[in-house]
Amino acid sequence: MSERVRQAQVGIVGGGPAGMAAASALAARGRSVVVLDEGQRAGGQIFRQLPPGVAPPAGVSEPPSHDHGHELIDAFEGAQVELVSGATVWDSKPGRLWFEHAGESHLLECERILLAPGAMDRCIPFPGWTLPGVTTAGALQVMVRGFGVKPGRRALVVGSGPLLLPTVTALLAAGVEVVAALEASSRWNALRALPGVIGNGARLREAMWYMKQLVRAGVKLRWGWTVLRCEGDRHVERAVIAKVDGQGRPRLGTERTIEVDVVGAGFGLVPAIELGLLLGCDSRHLAARGGHCLVVDEQQRTTIDGVFAAGEIGGIGGAEVASAEGALAAAAIDHSLGGPAVSEPLVKQARAERRASDAMLRAFAPLPGLYQLANDDTIVCRCEDVPLSEARAAAELHGRSSRAIKVGCRAGMGPCQARICGPSLQQLATADPACEMDVPVVRVPVKPVRASTIVNAPG
Amino acid sequence: MSQTADVVVVGGGIIGCAVVHALAQQLPRSTRIVLIDRGPIAGATSGSSMGHLMVTPDTPQDYAFSRTSVRLWNELAERVGGFHFQATGALYLADCDEDLELIPVLHEQFRDNGDRCEILDEQRLREIEPGLAPDVPGALFYPGDGVVLPMLACGAMLREARQWNESIEVRAECAVTGFERAGGRITGVATARGRIATPLVVNATGVWAPELAEMAGQPRLPIYPRAGNLAITAHHVSPIRTQLLEISYLRFAHGAAKVDPAGTDDPGGHAVNMQPQSHGGCLIGSTRQFRGMDRTLNRELLHRSLARAQRYAPALKNVPIVRTWVGLRPYAEGGLPFIGPWPHLDGLWIAAGHEGLGISLAPITGLLIAQQIAGVAPAVDPTPYQPARIGA
Amino acid sequence: MSDNRSSMGRFGSDEREAVTFSFDGQEIAARNGDTVAMALWAVGEATLRRSSREGRPRGVLCNMGICYECLVLVDGVAVRACTTVVRAGMKVERGGTPGE
Repeated sequence: MSERVRQAQVGIVGGGPAGMAAASALAARGRSVVVLDEGQRAGGQIFRQLPPGVAPPAGVSEPPSHDHGHELIDAFEGAQVELVSGATVWDSKPGRLWFEHAGESHLLECERILLAPGAMDRCIPFPGWTLPGVTTAGALQVMVRGFGVKPGRRALVVGSGPLLLPTVTALLAAGVEVVAALEASSRWNALRALPGVIGNGARLREAMWYMKQLVRAGVKLRWGWTVLRCEGDRHVERAVIAKVDGQGRPRLGTERTIEVDVVGAGFGLVPAIELGLLLGCDSRHLAARGGHCLVVDEQQRTTIDGVFAAGEIGGIGGAEVASAEGALAAAAIDHSLGGPAVSEPLVKQARAERRASDAMLRAFAPLPGLYQLANDDTIVCRCEDVPLSEARAAAELHGRSSRAIKVGCRAGMGPCQARICGPSLQQLATADPACEMDVPVVRVPVKPVRASTIVNAPG
Repeated sequence: MSQTADVVVVGGGIIGCAVVHALAQQLPRSTRIVLIDRGPIAGATSGSSMGHLMVTPDTPQDYAFSRTSVRLWNELAERVGGFHFQATGALYLADCDEDLELIPVLHEQFRDNGDRCEILDEQRLREIEPGLAPDVPGALFYPGDGVVLPMLACGAMLREARQWNESIEVRAECAVTGFERAGGRITGVATARGRIATPLVVNATGVWAPELAEMAGQPRLPIYPRAGNLAITAHHVSPIRTQLLEISYLRFAHGAAKVDPAGTDDPGGHAVNMQPQSHGGCLIGSTRQFRGMDRTLNRELLHRSLARAQRYAPALKNVPIVRTWVGLRPYAEGGLPFIGPWPHLDGLWIAAGHEGLGISLAPITGLLIAQQIAGVAPAVDPTPYQPARIGA
Repeated sequence: MSDNRSSMGRFGSDEREAVTFSFDGQEIAARNGDTVAMALWAVGEATLRRSSREGRPRGVLCNMGICYECLVLVDGVAVRACTTVVRAGMKVERGGTPGE
């Protein structure tokens, strides 16, 4: 990485399943492709690879879906694609992606942009969630599957959604005792997803694999339970857990205290749409798919010319959706550059994966009662250290919009740029979990970068 | 829904909040005051601006006006607090011969007003600001300036006002949709949530004041948006600990604009203003450009102003910038704000047009409005700010 | 503080080169390819910064570069511990105000 300005026909943001599938397909069609990824290796969050030299203990197996991951990675690594790892994209206009790499300022000029930045865990604040040792569910998976680090001795996995199971199995693989695995959604909700899962062979096999791992380890996934609070001096030492009703409201009298030294909490995923919003792409709110999603058409085109999007950014769907949409986006981009028309099977495949994933996500509808876990003193904005009481006061005086809450208490003004607090701030501050959520306001830099990176931006 | 108020203040930025605050202080507890804004309280210019509390000593009038306001800020911080007030002072920096000539001028102006400031030698400069580049040729330190966080200050003012007058109503996110008039005077305002009968309306809507005046059937109010691009760093990494101001700021930012504020050809300019924030971050401005209501980032101007900031505080280079944004300053023709009764419609008052000094001048602006409404002697001569000066 | 050194650590086999760096003056043994956050977690150091107002301990939240809860100073520059790969001899300091 010496030259600060580089050109490619296609610039792809994100090296997960969507980005990898698209990059391989575009390279196969003779297109020049540069992939910008913030991680150290290809694979994204879902197919994290251990660093060379590290091997898991004998007897640890992987879920069937990871075969697909290996295929994607192998194809990607064998393709004529330039991957820039450790690249933070911080500004963009159609045809231009500015990024920071190793502390230097770079620009990628490209005819087409494909946004495939993935998703992040949804955080719902509860007392004690800021204690060291309490992380997102995804963080623990990264720890184990990306670095071979053992998160702790006794773990609580809590939240909602299909990613709790991989978190549990990752912990088990690392030799961690999983004291409790709590899914807030009720068993009845789960039944709603059954037809979709049973009707899809791959998803059924995947679910069976996870269940088998849990049974073997003697871990029971408890439906209709969640965490009330975490306690400890400078590190989490205990968690108080309880049953919740069908709305996610804690049921009094069901509390139990468990000794744990690590907690992974993930209440579903939120699409990472910031770069799309900065580019001016339209978004829409789809609660079942994780919140604000980028609008894409049947060929993965966003509402901005020359900008395509694939995977979680258009709504949470998982790796299968992402790779199918990545392949479809590649064909559409190739077509837009003069290549052949997009073949119907690619479109059908992407649609079928979306249908299957939407069916499964029915089991994990948002639970408004979970917004009652936080109390007045619970920090809602971790960057600015804002407790719920101040966010409530801001909504009362300044207004109910996200802008009003932000200026009234500074929540969302820190370096995460409201990525963590934003998805729950309005519900919490207005005490109205059903409130209409404003589209996030995105500003340059999309992620913090050094002042010199901005000053020295090429172009 | 219909109701009655004694005063309706339109505009929930720092000026509107300061007007409500001063009205609550100056008028009887029974006065019914409504504050209304179509957006959030502090959601527009006041939520986008730097919080420089600045004493400007150009003339005795200017000095009295700005100094009184900064004193009122200090008192508010002592009584109420909660808005990150810091008595940083201001370090004026020179970088060329033209700048260096301004230093003794500014020094004399402060002295003539009976105030104190200090022309710094290299050693004193390093003591006051260790983060400064070693090759800054001249500097002057004025200890009387400060910094606040404007959006939190809005809330603090309203909370204290409610202690004095419990009946104050704040209607955020509710637009004024029209005015009612009878016999040449204001009789009420129409809002998105019903009408309010009132004999007094204060237009404190900053860059939107002309729009509101037009809604009231009034001639064009000469206030023009002047955009500024800002950047803020992460916490605990500020390269500086006092407030830095390029002394060329005085030439560039103050007084009547040297370009056509209604034009479309303002190339824009910048003068560094760096403010340490209470959690160890640093806020970096400031650029100025007339380009209508456009709030998109002017990347080139921002990059240039950050480069200038880096020239004075070299350690900024490696500091993470968390966010950049654009705010619109309400520039009033002639360079002075409008504070007082509108001469063409009884009951309509204006408090708008403070350009980049709205935060600093908010308390004195509120006080002058309230004192004139209450009919008591004003703290500072309000003549230069009378809206009647328009077209004179 | 509660001692997590015994419970946190590594699993499986690891043939990577050892790399040492300092954390608040203390020498830390890491492996080539570790991020600062993971190297510290593996030796039981979960507190990476102090919160901005209260000075409370904070550590890894997302571990994927999104939350900025793990901002530390590496050779004087504020960076995310979870995306910064260790280099021999690097000087890492906790972020935020010194609490308590």
